[in-house]
Amino acid sequence: MSFKRVSKLGCIRSFSAFIGAFLLALLIVGVTVPSVSVAAGVSDTLEERISPMGRVHIEGDDSFEPAVKTEASEAEEVVPYQMKKPSRSDYPDIGVSSRAVVWILAQLHLFFGALVLAIPLFVLVIELVGFRTGDERYDSMAHEFMKISLTGFSITAIIGGALAFALFTLYPDLMAYLTHVFGAQMLVYASLFFFESFFLYTYYYGWNAMRYGNLKWLHLTLGLLLNAAGMTIMVMANSWATFMMAPSGVNEVGQVVGNIWEVMKGPLWNPINLHRFIANIAFGGAVVGAYAAFKFLSTRDPEKRAHYDWMGYTSNFIAILSFLPLPFAGYWLMAEIYAYSQQMGITAMGGILAWLFIVQAVLIGTILLAANYYLWAGMSRTEGSERYKPLIKMIAFVLVVCFLIWVTPHTLILSASEIAALGGSHHHLLGPLGIMPAKNIAVNLMLIVTFLSFQLYRRSDKVATVSWAPFGNALMVAIYVVAMVNVIFAGVYYGYFTNTVYKVGSSVMQVSSTLVVIVVGITLDAFLFKGAKTLPSYWGKVPDRAQYALFALPVAFTWLMGLMGYVRSSVKTHWHVYTVMKDNSPDNFIPTIGYAGNMITLVTVLFLILVLFMFWIANLSATKQPKPAVSADGGAA
Amino acid sequence: MSNEKSGGAGSVVLIVVAFGIALAVFYGLNHFIMNIQGLPLNWDLTPAG
Repeated sequence: MSFKRVSKLGCIRSFSAFIGAFLLALLIVGVTVPSVSVAAGVSDTLEERISPMGRVHIEGDDSFEPAVKTEASEAEEVVPYQMKKPSRSDYPDIGVSSRAVVWILAQLHLFFGALVLAIPLFVLVIELVGFRTGDERYDSMAHEFMKISLTGFSITAIIGGALAFALFTLYPDLMAYLTHVFGAQMLVYASLFFFESFFLYTYYYGWNAMRYGNLKWLHLTLGLLLNAAGMTIMVMANSWATFMMAPSGVNEVGQVVGNIWEVMKGPLWNPINLHRFIANIAFGGAVVGAYAAFKFLSTRDPEKRAHYDWMGYTSNFIAILSFLPLPFAGYWLMAEIYAYSQQMGITAMGGILAWLFIVQAVLIGTILLAANYYLWAGMSRTEGSERYKPLIKMIAFVLVVCFLIWVTPHTLILSASEIAALGGSHHHLLGPLGIMPAKNIAVNLMLIVTFLSFQLYRRSDKVATVSWAPFGNALMVAIYVVAMVNVIFAGVYYGYFTNTVYKVGSSVMQVSSTLVVIVVGITLDAFLFKGAKTLPSYWGKVPDRAQYALFALPVAFTWLMGLMGYVRSSVKTHWHVYTVMKDNSPDNFIPTIGYAGNMITLVTVLFLILVLFMFWIANLSATKQPKPAVSADGGAA
Repeated sequence: MSNEKSGGAGSVVLIVVAFGIALAVFYGLNHFIMNIQGLPLNWDLTPAG
C-alpha cells in the first residue's frame, strides 16, 4: 500500500520534472534564431576575431562601423547578424510589470536550483562517509536528504519552464540575441536536464537496490554523474548571467567575434561559479536543517528525536562550514567587478545599492548569531563541554561588538538640523566605523570566533590522548590570538594610515589570516584527536529553542540570496547586456530599495511556502494509513 | 615542589614557543601576501613601495 503510494508520488514527480525540462527544451529550440555568425566570414586569427573595444558607438549614429570587418567571401555573401535594438513598442504590455514577473520566476528558480544542486553534493559525501566507515546511519541520513529534495527537482523544472516562457514572451529581442550568441550551448543545457533526471531517479530509487559491495560503488558513480550534470547546468546558466553583466566574445555592436568558449569565459564567470557553488551548499544545508528541526519538534519519540537532532547538527555543520569561506568568494567577485568596470563597482557599493550591504550585514549577522547559538545550545549534549562554557561569553561579546560595527552606516540621510546637531555629515566616532577597513576587521573576527565555537563544539566530547597535546593546544591558542591581532593590525594600520592601494591589499592579508585559522584548526584537530578518549554524547538532549535557530538560518539565507541577486542584476543599470544591448522596456531603471525589499520578501515567502510543501510531501511518502476495521455487516466500521 | 616548578616553567616555554611559531607564520604570511600583490613591505611591516 505504502509502496504504491510512494511509486505514485514518484511518477508524479518524474512526470512533472520531465514536462518542465521538455517545455524548456521546446522553448529554446523553438525560438533559436537561425543565423550566420559573423565569425564565419572573417579570418580566424585571434587578433581579428577579438576586436578592440576602444571606439564608442553612439546610439542612433548609423554611420558607425564595427571594428571587425565582415567581408564576404567571393563565393557567397555572408550577411552578418544584426542585433536588434528593441524600442519601447517591442516589449509586450501584459498589464503588469514584465520585470516583476521575471523577477519572481527567476528568483524562485534560482532558490530551488541552488537547493537541488547542493543537496546531492553533500549527500554524495555523506554516503561515501557511511560506506567507508560502515556506519549505516550516514547512509540512511543521506537517503532522507535526497527524499526531501526530490520534490524540489520537479518544482525547479516547472518554474524553470515558466521562466523560459516568460523570458521569451516578454523579452523576445533579448532572448533572440542570447540564443544567437550562445547557440547550440543552450541545446546542450536543455539536454543536460534529461541526463540529470535520469541520474537523479536512478540514484534515488536505486538506493536500496545498490546498498552494499560493488553495487554501492555503482550507486556512488550515479551520484557523481548526477552532480556532474547538475554542476555543468549551473556553470552554463552562470555564463548567461555573467555575459549580460560583462560580455565577452562579442564586439561593441553585439556581433559574435569569438567562439563559444570566449563568450562563456567572461571576467565574472569563475567568480560567480565559485560564489554560487559555495553559497548553494550553505543554503542547501540550512534548508535541510530546518527539515530536521521540524521533524525534531514534531515528535516525542526519543529515538526519532535523537536521529533528527543528529541530522540537524549535520545540516548546521554543512551550512556553516561552507558559509565561512563565502565572504571571500564574494570579495573576489566584487574585486573582479571593479576590475571590469569601476562604474559598475561604484554603482554596487558606492551608490544607492550601498545601503543594501548594510542590510546584508544584518542578515549575515543573523546567520552567524543563530549558527553560534545552535552550537552553544548543542554543547549541552555532552558533559565534556563544561570546560569550554566560559569561552562562550567572550565569543558572544566579540560577535555582538563586530556585528554592531558591521551594521554602522558611513553616510546617513540627515536633515539640516540633524547635521548641525551631529557637527557634520559624519559622526566623529561612528564615521570611521562606517568604512571598509572597520567592516573587514568585523567580518573576519566574526568568522574566526564562529570557527572557534565550531571547534569547541567538535572538541567537547573528546579528550586528546597524544603526548604532544599540551603543545598542540598552546599552538592553537597562539594561532587564534595572533590571527585576531593581525586582522585588527592590518585593518587599522593599512586601512587608516597608509594609501588606498595598501588598504585594499591588506584585506587579502586579513582573509588569509582567517583562512589560516580554519585550515590549521581542522588539520591540527585531525591529528590531535587521533585515538582520543570519547565522552558520552546524548543525541536528542538539546533544548527545543535550539531548533528555532535552525529555522532562522534558511529564512536569513533565502532573504540574503534574494537581496544580493537584486544587487547583482541591478548593477547593469539600463542595459540588458552591459554596453552592448540597451534595455528600452518601461522598467529600464534600478528599482527603489523599498520596492525591491517588498519583491524580495514576496519571493522569500513564496519559496518558504513551497519548501513547506516539499517537507509535507516528504512526510506524506512515509505516512501509512491504517487499514480500516471491517464491521460485522461487511462495511467499514 | 621542584617538579611543580619545572612543570610551570615547561608550560611557559611551551607557550612562548607556540606564540613564536604563530608570530613567525603570520609575519611571513603578511610579507608573502603583500608581495604577490606587488605591494612590498619593510621588515617592520611599513609599506616599502
